[in-house]
Order: sequence, then structure tokens, then C-alpha cells
Amino acid sequence: MSLIEINDLKVHYPIRSGFWNRITYSVKAVDGISFNIEAGETYGLVGESGSGKSTTGKSVVGLEKITSGSIMYKGKDITKKSNRKELDYNHDVQMIFQDSLSSLNPRKRIEDIIAEPLRNFEKLDANEEKLRVLQLLDIVGLDADALYKYPHQFSGGQRQRIGVARAVATNPKLIIADEPVSALDLSVQAQVLNFMKKIQREFGISYLFISHDLGVVRHMCNNIAIMNRGRLVEIGTRDDIYNHPLHIYTKRLLAAIPETNVNHRQEHREQRLEVEKIYQEQQDKYYDKDGKAYPLVQISPTHSVALPEDLVEKIKHEGEVKA
Amino acid sequence: MEENLNKHSDISAADLERLSKEAQDEATPSSSKIIWSEFKADKPAMVALILVVTFILFVMIASLFINTPKMMETDIMNYNATPGSNGFLLGADTGGRPILQQLIVGARNSIGIAIGLTLISSTFGICWGLISGYFNGYIDWGMQRVYDFMMMLPMTMMIIVLVTIIKSYNAVTLTFIFSIFYWEGTSRLIRSRTLSESEKDYVAASKTSGTGSFKIIFREIMPNISSLIIVDTTLSFAENIGVETGLSYLGFGLPIQTPSLGTLIANANDPNNITQYWWTWLPAALLIIILCLSISYIGQVVRRAADASQRHGISD
Ligand SMILES: Nc1ncnc2c1ncn2[C@@H]1O[C@H](COP(=O)(O)OP(=O)(O)OP(=O)(O)O)[C@@H](O)[C@H]1O
Ligand SMILES: [Mg+2]
Repeated sequence: MSLIEINDLKVHYPIRSGFWNRITYSVKAVDGISFNIEAGETYGLVGESGSGKSTTGKSVVGLEKITSGSIMYKGKDITKKSNRKELDYNHDVQMIFQDSLSSLNPRKRIEDIIAEPLRNFEKLDANEEKLRVLQLLDIVGLDADALYKYPHQFSGGQRQRIGVARAVATNPKLIIADEPVSALDLSVQAQVLNFMKKIQREFGISYLFISHDLGVVRHMCNNIAIMNRGRLVEIGTRDDIYNHPLHIYTKRLLAAIPETNVNHRQEHREQRLEVEKIYQEQQDKYYDKDGKAYPLVQISPTHSVALPEDLVEKIKHEGEVKA
Repeated sequence: MEENLNKHSDISAADLERLSKEAQDEATPSSSKIIWSEFKADKPAMVALILVVTFILFVMIASLFINTPKMMETDIMNYNATPGSNGFLLGADTGGRPILQQLIVGARNSIGIAIGLTLISSTFGICWGLISGYFNGYIDWGMQRVYDFMMMLPMTMMIIVLVTIIKSYNAVTLTFIFSIFYWEGTSRLIRSRTLSESEKDYVAASKTSGTGSFKIIFREIMPNISSLIIVDTTLSFAENIGVETGLSYLGFGLPIQTPSLGTLIANANDPNNITQYWWTWLPAALLIIILCLSISYIGQVVRRAADASQRHGISD
């Protein structure tokens, strides 16, 4: 059984307007997605800005009021508040927020920020608690003098680590990491990512790793889901996604990874322009008449893609021919 | 878990004291210290603060030694006595009642009502706004309709009507009557800030940390809008001094035998008093102006202290 099973999750934001303040239409931030996260793995959720990644993440930790669907944890649907209470759900599932500055209360000292989940979920006396906070700071590589400081006194990378320390404080089983390194420069990115991997090995944590950058995800995730306009367009292992991408949107994201090798830059640029051209030309083939992605169809045991039936047949056929 | 952490960190119970002390030495100054240093850096504000505090303490204590019923007895012999004559330091009014003593007792009454009114209406308005803004659903909708209803009522007229119906009222009942009508502005202001504050991720983080709604409202969100609360409260205090004095001036505030700054200024209703007997009303008017200006100046300094980027005093 998977750690978490997400079934046909939908989150629509009603937009009210007019004289009666009635719901005139709704933003379909997440529109019917399903995937499972296994214990101990890092699951990547990738898509461009506005594709609904954060909304998905927030639904999984129980912050979002969902429209329909279910999220199963230990056999219970945690989209219901009563079930979350009963399971002590947030003891096990925590989140690292996209914006580290806004996720730390500017009026609270680091000690109180990191100790907050401990105070609510674990009853410790004052000394035990302080010791735990100091140990957590040590684990994320911050000095003890951080204890009585306020969030604005830290750099972005340090703040991100404070967010990580808070998320791991209760030793959770799953952490939703919402673009944990997007705001950081490359060297600090590597630092935080390595650090996240380290605590994963040591504590056996699973991550739902949200990012818009397939380059970063490559180093972190074994299984990856590509999200576009609130729907999943492709699911697969790292190999499936990077070496055998099928959906045009995935190909486009892959082409957007910056090429670090100077010798291949020109080549890379041409390739990107070509993918972009195909994307513009064939777009309507990959989406239905409402601009919505098709339902996922399984290509191999690990690989699914959102394509219309005829294209799938063609791909399967080609695959057989090649093989 | 305990073991788990111990295994991954070199820090153990033995280091606790040393590390806590290190952290203590590096600690950021507390907010009351910051406010104090802000006052020290701004001399006029310091003067205003000392002025207001000593004045309030003075009238509170001095009025204890004044026998008000006796003071308010008419004394025809000293009709409009000029300042300095017959032991009347600031003269006397048309009833021969000493202005200085009336000023002290009147200021005590007016400031007392303003403080009471500010405490009650601001506390209520802040709670109303915070709860309404945070829950932001049916609760908010219901609370907003109550607010709309209160705003529809013509405030001054309602107060006058209430004061007329209630036969025997005193400073305390008057404070409560005012309070019914003076929390709305604060609540609207606080609600709109709470709405935007609730959207921030630190509120979401508190939710996932298992903190309950009311603790989030009062321990997480409220400190973050504290500068708004402090400034709004000091400004409404200055304004509330005007509320009671204004109504007393019109004759609907405190009863005649209870002096207030408003009843003193009402002396100016008589054209004779304005030109000839200026001492009957001018001291009270000056007092109000100085008091309100000082208080709003203090409010500005506190706002600056609460907002790290505008500080004049120590920075961190
Ligand atoms: N509270 C809300 N009300 C209305 N629409 C919303 C709300 N929150 C998000 N949306 C919309 O939902 C869509 C998905 O938002 P989401 O934050 O999940 O995107 P994202 O994939 O995390 O993007 P980014 O990479 O920029 O963080 C967006 O189009 C956004 O405008
Ligand atoms: Mg996001």
C-alpha cells in the first residue's frame, strides 16, 4: 500500500461577481489528478507557474478546501477535518513553504517558530524542548545564537533551512516541499538539496517535491508527474520522463532546462526553437477542444501519458516496431 | 525520536546551558526596549509623553482632594472673579465656581471616560475585526451584516436619544453608551488587515503545526498587526476625548453638576464670556488641543517603533 493515495483530486476556486455576488465561474486550479506516493521516495511534481502545484501540495497537507476527490492516508480520507484530527495527521505530514519569508512569522523568534509543532504534538518540558530546538538548528547547520533572533535577520538560504527544521521537528513521514530552492542561487540550492537528501536517508522521510525546473528534479526524484493547467499530462520514472518523453508539454519543459555545457549551447538553442515550433503547430492535437489535457493512458507499467487514443495506438505500434 | 535526534546532532543536554547563554547574549532587543529607545531618540516625543503622563497622573491624584459637590455650589459673591483675585488662581465662572478646580475634576472626568471608552470600544472592535477577518465565511458574513446595521444608525442622534431616555446616568453608563457606537471603525480597519494577513504562509504553517484557530488569531496574527492596533488606539483615544467633550458641550454629555472639559468650553456659548470672561473657557480649550496633539504625536512615534524600517532609535 502506498503512503498516500490521491484520487481524482479537484480544487476549484469560485469567482463571485455581479449584484447578487453569485458564483459566475470558477478557476480550476486542480482538475482531476491522481497519483500515489510511496514510503521513503521523493515524488516530483513539475509544471510551469500557475499549473496548480502549490494548490495540490496544500491539499495534501490539509490546508485547502477541496472540491471533490479523495486523499487516502492509513486507509482514511484526510480531506475531512475529523479524520485529520483523529490521525494526528500533521504530526506525520508537514510542509516546506514556497516563500520562506512569508512562512515564518516575523514577530516570533526562531525558537518559538521551530518549537511550535513540538508544543502542539509532543509534550516536552522547557529544557527538553530547548534542547530539541538546538539539535534541530544544528542538523540544518545553524548556530545556537539563531535561537533568539527574528526571521528578517537571516538570509534566504538560512530561512529556507529554518523552514526545513520546523518541518522535520516532529519527525514526519511525508514532507511537501514546495519549490524549496527556487528562490536560492545555485550554490545554496545544492546545499539545501543535499541536506534534504541527507535527512531523508537518516529519517526515512518521503517528499512530494514541487518544482518548475526539471533540472533540479532530476537530482531528487525517482518518480515524476508533469502538471499542466491543473491536470497531469505525463507520469513516469526518471528514465521515462527524461529519456522517453511523449507529451509535447514535457518535451517543452525538458528543452527549457539551461544547457551548462558551452560547446553545445548553439545546438541546444536550435533544438529548443524546434520544440517550440512543434508545440505551437501541434498544440490542438494534444489537448481536447476545451484546451483540457486528455485522461492519462498507460504506455508501460510505469509510464502514462495524456494523449488521445489514436496517438497512443501509433506510439505503441512504433514502440513495437523499434523493439 | 529522542534517540533519533541525539544520534544526528552533537548537541546534548550538557551543552544546553552554555548555548542558551550564548544565544541570550546575541538576542534581539524586545519591543518595549525598542519603543523606549525610539522615544529617547525623539526629544519632542519624549516631551509629549512626559506631558501627557504627568498631566493624567496629576489630575487623577489632585481631584481626590477636591470636594466636587461643594465646589459646584453657587457663590454669588465671586461672580466671574478674575484670575488671581480672592484666591481664584484661574478665576471663577458665572456661578462663582473656581475654574482651576473645575478644570482638574473636569479633565479627570473627560480623560477617564475617554480611557474607558477607548479600552472597551477598541478591545471589542479589535476582537470583532480579527474574528470576522480570519474566519472569512458565514461567520464573517453574519458579522458584517451586524456591522452594516450599526453603521446605518445615526450615531450622535442615537446617543442623544439614549441619554435622554435613561434617567439617572453617570460617567460609567455614559461610557458604555458611547462604546456601543464607537467600535465599528476599528473593527473595519482590523478586519481588512486580518483578511490579507490570514493569506500569508505563516498562518498556514501554524495550521499545519497543529495550532488552534483562536491561538492563531490572537497569538500569531494579532502581534503582526500590533502597530496598526497601537496607532489606531492612540488616535482613537485622542478622538474619544473629543467625543465626550463635544456632547457635553452640546448639553447631552455629563449632567451639569459633574464638570467636564466639555461643560467648561460650553461657557463660550455666552457671547459675554467669549469676549470679557475668557478665563471661563480658554484654559479648557487649550488643554484639549495640547492633549490631543501630544497623544497623536506619541501615536506616531509608537508606529515608527513598531515598523523596523522607519526607526530613528537603535536598529537591529
Ligand atoms: N485563492 C485563490 N483564489 C482564486 N484562484 C486561485 C487561488 N489560489 C490559486 N489560484 C489560481 O490557481 C492556479 C494555480 O495556482 P498555484 O498556486 O497552485 O500554482 P503553482 O503551480 O504553484 O504556481 P507557481 O509555480 O507560480 O507557484 C493559478 O491560476 C492561480 O491563479
Ligand atoms: Mg506554487
